[in-house]
Amino acid sequence: MTEITLSIKGLRKRIGKREIIKGLDFELKSGEVFGFLGPNGAGKTTTIRMLVGLIRPTAGSIHVCGYDVKRDFVKAMSHLGCIVENPELYPYLTGMENLQHFSRMIPDFDSKHLEYVVKLVRLQDRINDPVKTYSLGMRQRLGIAQALLGRPKVLILDEPTNGLDPMGIREMREFIRFLAEKEGLTVLVSSHLLSEIQLMCDRVAVISKGRVIKVDTVSNLLNFQEQLVWKVTPVEKGRKLLQTATSVILDEEKQLVTPLSENSSVWNRMLVENGVEVHEIQRKVPTLEDLFLELTGGESVE
Amino acid sequence: MNKLIHNEMLKIIRKRKLIVVIAIMAVLISLFTYAQFREVQRQIEKLGDVDWRTTLQQQIVDTQNRLTSSGISDEWKAQLQIRVQQQQYYLDNNINPAEPGAPTFVRSFAQESITLFVPLLIMIVAADIVSSERSAGTVKLLLTRPVKRWKILLSKYVALLLSISIIVVLMGLLAYVISGVVFGFGGWKAPILTGFTSIGGELNTSHVQLIDQWQYILMEFGLVWFVAIVVGTLSFMLSVLLKSTSASMGVMLAALIAGLILSNLVSSWQSAKYLFMINLDLTGYLAGSSPPVPGMTLLFSIGVLAVWAVIALFVSFSVFVRQDVY
Amino acid sequence: MNKTYVTIVSFLSIGAFLVLLFGFSWTIQNQLSKEKSTVREQPQVEEIVNEKEGKTIVALGDSLTRGTGDEEGKGYIGYLVEELEEKTDEKLTLHNYGVKGYRSEQLLNQVKGDTIQNQIKDADVIIMTIGGNDLFQGGQTLVSPKQDEISLLKDQYVRNLKETMELIKSINQDAVIFLVGLYNPFIDLEDAATTTAVVRDWNYSTNLLLDQYPNTVFVPTFDLFQLKVNDYLFSDKFHPNSKGYQLIAERVASLITW
Repeated sequence: MTEITLSIKGLRKRIGKREIIKGLDFELKSGEVFGFLGPNGAGKTTTIRMLVGLIRPTAGSIHVCGYDVKRDFVKAMSHLGCIVENPELYPYLTGMENLQHFSRMIPDFDSKHLEYVVKLVRLQDRINDPVKTYSLGMRQRLGIAQALLGRPKVLILDEPTNGLDPMGIREMREFIRFLAEKEGLTVLVSSHLLSEIQLMCDRVAVISKGRVIKVDTVSNLLNFQEQLVWKVTPVEKGRKLLQTATSVILDEEKQLVTPLSENSSVWNRMLVENGVEVHEIQRKVPTLEDLFLELTGGESVE
Repeated sequence: MNKLIHNEMLKIIRKRKLIVVIAIMAVLISLFTYAQFREVQRQIEKLGDVDWRTTLQQQIVDTQNRLTSSGISDEWKAQLQIRVQQQQYYLDNNINPAEPGAPTFVRSFAQESITLFVPLLIMIVAADIVSSERSAGTVKLLLTRPVKRWKILLSKYVALLLSISIIVVLMGLLAYVISGVVFGFGGWKAPILTGFTSIGGELNTSHVQLIDQWQYILMEFGLVWFVAIVVGTLSFMLSVLLKSTSASMGVMLAALIAGLILSNLVSSWQSAKYLFMINLDLTGYLAGSSPPVPGMTLLFSIGVLAVWAVIALFVSFSVFVRQDVY
Repeated sequence: MNKTYVTIVSFLSIGAFLVLLFGFSWTIQNQLSKEKSTVREQPQVEEIVNEKEGKTIVALGDSLTRGTGDEEGKGYIGYLVEELEEKTDEKLTLHNYGVKGYRSEQLLNQVKGDTIQNQIKDADVIIMTIGGNDLFQGGQTLVSPKQDEISLLKDQYVRNLKETMELIKSINQDAVIFLVGLYNPFIDLEDAATTTAVVRDWNYSTNLLLDQYPNTVFVPTFDLFQLKVNDYLFSDKFHPNSKGYQLIAERVASLITW
């Protein structure tokens, strides 16, 4: 059940003299939700456009279910569904007409599947209304419906929660998990929000300036990164004490920052016993910026 | 492929392109019908009777007078000279070049509209057929289907050809019906002369043929259709090359208007005859008016236009298939 | 529902495509074959019998008939018709076939045309101005008049005019023909004596010819322009201006009787 559905090798893209993507390698398995994390401008969208055949890579190869996107475009694309950026559908057609339009581009399409997909994204009530009357969330759902029309094995979603309200974001998240777990799809989700990736992905690739910095499971990545913030007086004494046990940083607000650890209760007792008052211990989920600072060793996110 | 063409027809129809074009045609044709009607009224007032020979003779005299006025360009003079000789030929052979009735209106309307009106209508459909998908972003959905890019573009082109065909036919029908209400519906069998050529400003009548008006109209609309396809193909190419619909419309419009202006100026600039916009007036050859550059013939113009269209198609496809879509 | 609509439009379009393709290929085939002319002289269809109502005036000739130089664009024909309309209750129909720059030879050719002949047949009055361009040739002749050249021109002119007159008379015996004579636009310049002599001689020859035909009137204009020629000439110093045309019109009008 863990076949490789999407594999990327040595992917590069040069536009003019600037190399935008500087060699990407990663593989996706069936049934997993894969996060593609990076700040705006890191090359996420360019990479995704290469994956779906909109942009030709300068070098490297992309295989969807074993078919080369460049050489076997039609076969590769019949296993792939995608939304690139916003789901731009034809506003003057109804939701149903939009779906029929795209279904006519799929060889041997079974029209029963159309109804199934509409039910899946819960658009039955509004499917015969013109798309221009849809809310953004409905458009997003219709976008997913069109991506699912061809029974893809790989689903690529570029910033799927962009512009949705909290309710919509939650629905989308659950839906993506459902597709991966129940339908066995490989879902690639790009985002610039760590929290989002954290909540829905199994694995994540962190990308910056056209390079993959790290590919790991979400839990590993975050464990490695989570920190504790100590508010103590006197600060200097507390720092010296903690340094004996772990690495300590003094931040701008005169707080002590240490890595998250099971030993924190031990450290706490040590501080108290030595006469340092501990006012507050806070577990801090790192921001994307922190993560990048950590991973790139101080290079800024820009 | 049929399904793809169906998709493109669906989009053209649902974008209300055809309806807009039909509405424009209906309004303008009504306008021209009214203008023509007033002209006939004026003739009756001025001349007392409406025998066509009298009218034609008067037209000949009027044209001759214009010929002698100073400050008239050589190109225009040649045109007028040919026209006088032609009118005289009609008169001598006792054939009315303007048998009253809707078919005559249709015939002259097609002749007048081939250089600007029809191309403009076609541009409404052709100019945004690719660029609108690009500006709306739907091109990303279109190109990530399991269909080769050239097939998608081809389906768009075929849909364009079909739309052009129905627009041209509808123009004929509308012109016939609207003008028929005013001028009557008869006159399909009226005799018409074609095959005039001009050699050195002199009318050559050795190949003149007498045909029924319905034959002439069919030929004429065939030519209008061909011009519409060529203009459509060029707009199609611009639509692929330029992201904005208004930019491609602007470029095309500038070319067409430049063509109209140049046609009256270029008789001494030989190589201008290879420009597509100089060659658009194909119906002029049928009617026998003198060409913009001496020596141009119907087959020459058709050839030039065909070459332009083939190059445009080639450029469209090779760019579209390779293009990176952002 | 919508799907069938699109299908119907598509099929209609395919039909349109085929029809137009046929029209286009027919044109090409027709052009390629380049058949010899298939036009034979059409038999004259029914003689047009104009329901005669009122009077018909046919004006023939050169720029004077056309009205060149008149600021109002009417010419003496225009003023003439205006005057006649005041005088009579009858409906007047005018056919003006004057062409700027016409010489007697071109007039003759024009009169040979069927349509003009039809009009002449119906005419009650025919008014002509001709000869000015034969003689003056745009002002060249009289700059350096050579007697033998002028007499050559005059002979040609008289021959053409004679033929024209005979043609008109053979078509319509009853119409009254008025031929407006020449004036001397150069009478104010040097050499006036010479030019005047030439114009008078020319008019004399015209008059002499017209005397041979009944119902034919030579209308002199020489005297009209004799004294204050510049008051009556257009800025080209050749054609009359409005006032000049009005003078001619008055004179012709006074001669016309129905």
